[in-house]
Amino acid sequence: MFSLNCHRTILGNKAVAICIATALLSTPLAAQPFAYISNQLDDSVSVVDTATGGVVDTIAVTGRPAGVAVAPDGSKVYVSTPEAKGFAVIDSKKREVIARVAVNDGTLGIAVSPDGKRIYVADWYKNNVSVIDADSLQIIHTISVGESPSGLVVSPDNRWLYVANRISNSVSRIDLKTLTVKKTAQVGTHPFGLTIDARGERIYVANVQSDDVTVVETARMKPIATVKVNMLPYATALALNDSRLLVTNQDDGSVSVIDTETLKEIALITVGTKPEGISTHPDDRHVYVANWFDGNVSVIDARTLKVIDTIQTGEGSRAFGQFMGK
Amino acid sequence: MKKIILFVSVLLFFFTSIANAHGPVRQKAEEKITINAPAAKVWDIIKNYGDMSWHPGIMSTTVKGDNSKGAVRVLTLKDGGTITEELKKYDEAKMSYAYKITDMSSSKTITHAGAEEKVPALPVNDYAASIELADKGGKTEVIWKAGYYRAYMNNNPPEEMNEEAANTAVKAVLETGLINLKKLAEK
Repeated sequence: MFSLNCHRTILGNKAVAICIATALLSTPLAAQPFAYISNQLDDSVSVVDTATGGVVDTIAVTGRPAGVAVAPDGSKVYVSTPEAKGFAVIDSKKREVIARVAVNDGTLGIAVSPDGKRIYVADWYKNNVSVIDADSLQIIHTISVGESPSGLVVSPDNRWLYVANRISNSVSRIDLKTLTVKKTAQVGTHPFGLTIDARGERIYVANVQSDDVTVVETARMKPIATVKVNMLPYATALALNDSRLLVTNQDDGSVSVIDTETLKEIALITVGTKPEGISTHPDDRHVYVANWFDGNVSVIDARTLKVIDTIQTGEGSRAFGQFMGK
Repeated sequence: MKKIILFVSVLLFFFTSIANAHGPVRQKAEEKITINAPAAKVWDIIKNYGDMSWHPGIMSTTVKGDNSKGAVRVLTLKDGGTITEELKKYDEAKMSYAYKITDMSSSKTITHAGAEEKVPALPVNDYAASIELADKGGKTEVIWKAGYYRAYMNNNPPEEMNEEAANTAVKAVLETGLINLKKLAEK
């Protein structure tokens, strides 16, 4: 299994290094990590084999696919389709849409629980989050949140769901036992994408209008810092054992790198035009960025802070959410 | 009293929607042209952010600030409409700059879904664009890119404010501008 993977990755010293890192971190039977990139203007999802750095398949998904969430076991990929007012379920082995679920008017943000049992979908127009049973694909509950809910993230212990409310300038914390909003924190202007650390203690939310990132301590739901980044920060991802936060700056064509200890920006990496979705590879080192205007993906090495690869995907690559399989 | 409350809430609704929300799917436009003139000559024509006389659709330009981030220009169109744009990025060495529309006059008012809707001069929302030159061995390639949403910010847009209207209008702006720039530079 590994020798096969490694043969396919002998493209240079760096690629071999990735292969070794993957071999060390993944369990022997783990599938190759794939990145699922929604191409909103092409009505498709590109399947990127992160070992070879190539697109291995393109899946047709109508309804302007935007948000992406990969099931923890990698078997399913959930893609929000705002123009089809719901989301699509992709079988990652068959690489095709196996179900479509009608949810609401403006589905965008989407997330799946760490146990894979529930799917959460935010509705941009209806100001709520729908809770869907992943087996039956039935909506089991709908929770009112702030205005224009966007990014969603579930705590690693599967206890809380965090929602960035774009127009309300806030993040709601939803108790997943009672399915009610427990607390709301005011953040910067127009929060959009957000991520959570491995211990579930901090949330990093990108504020598209105030050009900064709010760091929220989850226990008290209080902002503990605001870090200035560049123009129109869109989404965030953590790497290197949560020591680095990477933020896509949509209007600057760059990614800001923040040291999470000092909470200072330590690098600004040029990527493509209009970078949007951002996710970290299971090796915890390589970070994938979807460049919406260019229709490609930049691969950043969080250690060297350099772009090591650019992969052509499709028109309007958005990939908003956790689009990386394990 | 009831009327006043209704009026205020309608006003609030308009205020929030105009200030914040947008359609679900961002659109893009990209136009390129190759000009038989050196890049320096083409750059000379477009480099002043406060002078857009090279575009045939623009009657006049006024500007506050110089060729650096934060400068604001107001374009007066030949049909009388105005578009206000803020300079977001300016790179002399790369011969490129990027800007955003911050305000527009409306070209007409329509009634849709029981509400009055003002159709902006360019039927878009949240519009950001960049223009850049590339030296192609004595010739110049000009690339003009724009990302934007349709003008209508809720579901079910009227045809004057849908994606097609936005795409058609933006493509025309970019195309006519580049054709005229080529004409001017090759003179």
